[in-house]
Amino acid sequence: MRPRLLLGLWLATDLALFVGFYCLAYFLRVGFYLSSDFPFRPFFWSVLTVAPVWLLVLGTTRTFALMRSQRTLRNASYIAYSALVGVALFTLAYYFEFKSSFQGVSRLLLLLAFVFTSIGIWLWHLLFHSFRRSLLRRSPASYPTLIVGATREAAALIGKLNLHRNPLTPVAVLDGRGTSEKELSGVPVFGKLDRLEEILEKEHITHLIQCSNLEQTLNLLSACRRRSITFLLLPSVMGIVEADKQVESLEGHPVTVVRPAGQPWEEWFFR
Amino acid sequence: MRAFILAGGFATRLWPLTEKRAKPLLPLAGKPLVDHLIDQLPKEIPVTVSINAAFAESFERWKTTNSHSRVEIVVEEARKDTEKLGALGAVAQWVTERKIDDDILLLTGDNYCGFPINDVLAAYQPGTPIIAAHALSDIAMASAFGTIIPATDGKTVQAFEEKPALPKSALVSTGISIIPSRHLAVLVDYAKTKPDNIGGIFEEFLRRSIAVEYRAFTEPWFDIGSFEAYLEATRAIVGEHVHLGQEAICVTTKTEGSVVLGNRSSVRNSTLENVILFEDCTVEDCVLSDCIIDDHCNLKGIDLSKQMLREGTVLRKA
Repeated sequence: MRPRLLLGLWLATDLALFVGFYCLAYFLRVGFYLSSDFPFRPFFWSVLTVAPVWLLVLGTTRTFALMRSQRTLRNASYIAYSALVGVALFTLAYYFEFKSSFQGVSRLLLLLAFVFTSIGIWLWHLLFHSFRRSLLRRSPASYPTLIVGATREAAALIGKLNLHRNPLTPVAVLDGRGTSEKELSGVPVFGKLDRLEEILEKEHITHLIQCSNLEQTLNLLSACRRRSITFLLLPSVMGIVEADKQVESLEGHPVTVVRPAGQPWEEWFFR
Repeated sequence: MRAFILAGGFATRLWPLTEKRAKPLLPLAGKPLVDHLIDQLPKEIPVTVSINAAFAESFERWKTTNSHSRVEIVVEEARKDTEKLGALGAVAQWVTERKIDDDILLLTGDNYCGFPINDVLAAYQPGTPIIAAHALSDIAMASAFGTIIPATDGKTVQAFEEKPALPKSALVSTGISIIPSRHLAVLVDYAKTKPDNIGGIFEEFLRRSIAVEYRAFTEPWFDIGSFEAYLEATRAIVGEHVHLGQEAICVTTKTEGSVVLGNRSSVRNSTLENVILFEDCTVEDCVLSDCIIDDHCNLKGIDLSKQMLREGTVLRKA
């Protein structure tokens, strides 16, 4: 319930901000009065029409995804890209609806709208992101997460999830080899995998992160499928420890790709 | 004499096959591992199986399908590995609570013995503890077992070492032994301090100058404690054949090594090499090698190697 409410609030505030930023651009450009040369009503109508489409475009960049960090450059780029699409859509909507363009009158308005909706929305996302994460982590956590494998990699992951207050809240660790440690980065170690079903049930696990025990991947996946739990696998479990790894598609087959290091930066576009 | 089968372990190394059943209930060539032991015991010997609370249900179910009406189940109140009483502790508790004053034939329920248990009974000299032993081909492997250092007479144990780092002998305990009634007090006493050290009781006997004998066997013997050992035991029993359970079907399928299909399992258009399918599994258009597949699994169009699959796994290539 909590995650859905927060997501609803986030989408609604984004829509309101999009409309608000365009209105701000309008008044900054035209002046804080209702002009008869450049009437507010058709402008506002066009913004209202375009706003849901812009939100849809923004949604396709997966900026609202549970595991997306708003702090990254990539996320900022996606928001800027959506803002650009928003401006283009607004211009087209205004032109087709009212047979009038902004040429010579309001090019600056479009520029302002772009700047406000890209930077403003990003800043809002940063703020909301932090607010949302703290609410999702409140006890009982919305996304209790089970860590499989008491490894150093697992300890580092738990540390990062807790440091960044990620919605995935590690609540239990199981280790196939039976570590003697009682806890891992502050998270209790409950024992070996024979306690999997018990822990999934008792802790209401929503996410399982496999950090070790490659030989048990199929069985962990099977348990997750049966209980509609999201399964995540660290590439290091398969021995992929390089930083530059990506999951891509090779003729429709998902593949994990690790490319040779030291390639020129422009290769990024074509590799 | 009474038989006491130790079946109270949690067998975490064989997870997920032991998720809902104890190791002694794992099927081996068509019947539970523990049945391979019980079927060898003389009918007049009452049998007690010591289990833990986590697997009580599966053992009760097993008992209803088992023909041994003389089998009694005692449940140790342990639901987790950490709550275990210990193997020797379980024996001691049973001896004390039931006031047992018979000789005890101790058997570990997760061992497969190819040798006749009757021969151990025949070799038993009343009043002298005896261990059924097996000579391993590689002495280094003995470090995982209780090792017997034989005396020169060929029947007395000179020393017993539980899981030594550097084994002095390739002769190991098979988990089958007889403890005479007159030495049960020593067992109960020793279990107070070492409840988990089942092999340690023989060290204790020797320490107290109680003679211990052994009888060595050459027939196959397996301690089914791992995926590899389970497959190896199956290979030894089934050989290069396909073992079909009731209503099991294997059509247009290439098989190699030992293949066991549990009751109502079906395999079509596949290639199987050293594969154990439990009950009610369906395999179609798959290539499986060295795999153990639990009940109710459904596989289609996939290749798997060296895998144990948990009950109810569905893998169908999209």
